[in-house]
Amino acid sequence: MFRTLMTTLPLTIALALPAVAQDSFPDRALRIVHGFGPGGNADTVSRIMAEQMTQGLGQPVVVESRPGAGGTVASGYVAGEEPDGYTLQLLVGGHAVAAGLYNELPYDSVEDFTFLSTVGQFPFFVAARAGEYESINALIEAALAEPGSIVIGHSGVGSTQHLTGELLGLETGAEFIHVPYQGGAAASTALMGGEVNLIIDTGTVIRGQADAGVYDILAVTSAERWPGYEDVPTLNETVAEGFDVISWTALGAPAGLPEDVEATLSEEIARVLELEDVRGQIEALGANPQGSTGEELQALVERQIAVWTEVIDSAEIERR
Amino acid sequence: MTPDNPQQPTALSRALSGGVLMAVGIGMLVIGWSYPVGQLTQMGPGYVPRAIAIFICVMAATILVIDLRSTDVARSDGLHWRGLIFVSAAMLIFATLVDVAGLVPSMFLAVAVSMFADRQAKPLTVLIYTVLATFAGWLLFLVILELPIPAFRRWS
Amino acid sequence: MIDQFLLGLSVVLQPDVLIYAFAGVFIGQLIGVLPGIGAITAISLLLPITFYLDATASMILLAGIYYGSQYGGSIASILLNLPGTPSSVVTCLDGYPLAQNGRAGLALFVAAFSSFIGGMIGVSILVLAAIPMTTIALRFGAPEYAMLVVLGLLAASLIGTGSQLRSFAMVLVGIALGVVGADATTGFYRFVAMPELADGISLVSLAMGLFGVSEIIRHATHHGRPTPRLNLKIRDILPTRAEARSLGGPILRGSAIGSFFGALPGTGAAIASFMSYATEKRFSRTPGKFGKGHLPGLSAPEAANNAASQTGFIPTLTLGIPGDAVMALIIGALILNGIIPGPRLMVDQPLLFWGVIASFFVGNIILLLINIPLIRLWVLLLRIPYQKLYPIIIVMICVGVYSHRTSVVDVVLTLAFGIVGYLMKSYRFEPAPVLLGFVLGPLLEDNFRRTMLIYRGDFLIFVERPISAGLLACTTALIVFSVYSAIRNRRPPAGLPAKNEH
Repeated sequence: MFRTLMTTLPLTIALALPAVAQDSFPDRALRIVHGFGPGGNADTVSRIMAEQMTQGLGQPVVVESRPGAGGTVASGYVAGEEPDGYTLQLLVGGHAVAAGLYNELPYDSVEDFTFLSTVGQFPFFVAARAGEYESINALIEAALAEPGSIVIGHSGVGSTQHLTGELLGLETGAEFIHVPYQGGAAASTALMGGEVNLIIDTGTVIRGQADAGVYDILAVTSAERWPGYEDVPTLNETVAEGFDVISWTALGAPAGLPEDVEATLSEEIARVLELEDVRGQIEALGANPQGSTGEELQALVERQIAVWTEVIDSAEIERR
Repeated sequence: MTPDNPQQPTALSRALSGGVLMAVGIGMLVIGWSYPVGQLTQMGPGYVPRAIAIFICVMAATILVIDLRSTDVARSDGLHWRGLIFVSAAMLIFATLVDVAGLVPSMFLAVAVSMFADRQAKPLTVLIYTVLATFAGWLLFLVILELPIPAFRRWS
Repeated sequence: MIDQFLLGLSVVLQPDVLIYAFAGVFIGQLIGVLPGIGAITAISLLLPITFYLDATASMILLAGIYYGSQYGGSIASILLNLPGTPSSVVTCLDGYPLAQNGRAGLALFVAAFSSFIGGMIGVSILVLAAIPMTTIALRFGAPEYAMLVVLGLLAASLIGTGSQLRSFAMVLVGIALGVVGADATTGFYRFVAMPELADGISLVSLAMGLFGVSEIIRHATHHGRPTPRLNLKIRDILPTRAEARSLGGPILRGSAIGSFFGALPGTGAAIASFMSYATEKRFSRTPGKFGKGHLPGLSAPEAANNAASQTGFIPTLTLGIPGDAVMALIIGALILNGIIPGPRLMVDQPLLFWGVIASFFVGNIILLLINIPLIRLWVLLLRIPYQKLYPIIIVMICVGVYSHRTSVVDVVLTLAFGIVGYLMKSYRFEPAPVLLGFVLGPLLEDNFRRTMLIYRGDFLIFVERPISAGLLACTTALIVFSVYSAIRNRRPPAGLPAKNEH
């Protein structure tokens, strides 16, 4: 009721839902499950998608947060649900990390899911306090000259950010100290306070400080320079050839989705991702709004599982 | 609940609180024994659990000694068995049903069962009250707050 | 500053903005009263609305829900021993006994008034000293947090009403519960019996179980609880002159402590209210009265948690850094509106920045105005026989806890903690120190280990850094003071320890 009241308060807002009576799928409410807390990237993206899909499918799409164990609680839950199209999952890059990080998952990260489409792709940025390092090359030189002198703050053990930092060490031969914080914001505070030398995190965490001249963005982790950040060099072209890390959000469902249902959903996701509002919101979150086919998404997941499993082994990160 | 006998509690019941605490400490030590401990400057994940477990055991031992020696330990009341059983049953029913049957049936049964914790509950009152309470809950949680929990979940 | 604040006021007082300030605090108030459904759930449900509102209105609405819920949280704590928000756990300690003694109206009034003063002081600090507070907050690194928590844990053992030994044992049990889950430093799973426990035990489950459910188990049986007397005359709601005079100090000290802790990212309102309670009790001339319905024990933490929920916006607004999960949501709403939160917010978006701050000022006044008349209505709630009330409370707890993480396991855990809390009370163990240990334990472990990692095992770092050294000195002083007063006051043990009566 509050939601409805609030949205109708300004009369300019016309939220007349097209009450298209469809005789087939969907004939009741859908839900997008995700495995992270409210307010995180996954939650926000879920809500953006749900809001628009509600209008397109003519049925309410609700967001259900089932946080726990790096998203694996939600994945395990969704994998066990009926593949009827009414239960979707917002997957993130961590889905691929989890496959390598956990000893026993109650599901198979590829076989137990129907992959629908990517929603957004985003890189990580390497940032330091303004003026501390001239360039990414200077930073790596400093790290190589004195092993263990550079401390990287990251958003939690086993997070994609953490593993990206480990991968940077492996690729360049530099020895970093990796210090975990409770989330990217806390790591960023530590960088500002001078406790760590470096953070590797998403644009949303870093951009505000970079715009204010507090941070220098030294490099981006994607293979190519990132749109909107054309003056930021890639790690690939500077210190670590072949370095290519991007993370993503995507929509999936339990394995065994009927083909017509899968088609309806994929079509709807593609439609939503073309909407100007949605593109703007996903871009505001630091990501590039981009759909894909199910096969492309599955290939991406499989590729990243291989990469992260290798990083976890090489960096000797404790499996759980 | 009926009061216990007015005499001093037995040594066994006086030892209970310290004893249970000791069990908690020992349990923690046993389960956490395999966790890597490390040292103070390089703590492993097992360091703090082990230290805390040992502290708890020491505390438990002290409490045990004090309680056993003191003659005027306040007697604990008898257990409220009825409340314990029906409140537990109500919450367990809610937990079992909410994911499979939805919010409305689980609220209905939880209210109904929990009312029997009251010794004077009469079936008809319980029924009327439960219907009203479930309706109020539906109104509050699903209509006003729009919580994302289905009222009824499809059995599949 | 004052000019800009007035500019902000002019933004808020426009009717189409004011309505969102009102709506925010009103929804927050309601959400706060409902056990378990916290500001996080409410804000995340309302997040899509902000797609349609401009950034200022969204911020004002969501922020209003946040601090409004702090007000509301005290109501269920005082009337029913149900801490609606984690920070109102402390409110139960003296608020609930007051209600049991027929002074619910007075307790609600004092809580609302203390909250108001605390909130206003918090806003004033936000207006006048946001930048200096930010500078101080940034100087708190891992060693400082570790030392701060040591001080807090020491204060923690002072919270209980019973024996020091037993309450210290309960702090340890709280720390033990806080250990459950993935270890933050290595990711190692500790005591994780099922995947749902990997992120640790939920604070909401623990608080609801130890306080709320245990109380229901005890009193559900008929005639288990005497219906409290009801005094509804205005005279009974207002404090006497002597009582009013005794509140000045606690409210001011509470506000100061709350303002400080609120501004540190990652500590928050719950710790602030615990610390202010411990402070009042430690320096009170009558510590024995605490926990039995002592007004300073209610007003200090209420002032503290509301001051903290206002100064909590300092890192959010000046640095774009969320101090807790709710702030992260609010920042998310800003980002979706295309505004990048960061140090430039104040410069680039002065209308938004100061408008939001001014809305806190207005929101606190609105909250006071809607709370005072509601007091009599709330007190009437107690006229409903408990036997008609508790089944609804059980369902509210279940739904609240479940909705928090959509987790059935959390509901079962809440029940388990309810049973444990019930048994603990029967054996003269207090639940409050458990919660404090639970909140502070992981903070201490993580920050200590982080310090060792960053400074390579060098203990001298704790005395080399000035703030850390200062905190260490305070801790030492508190220990010396406690030992000294214990020796000085050494008397033959007073007869029976006070038994918890119901």
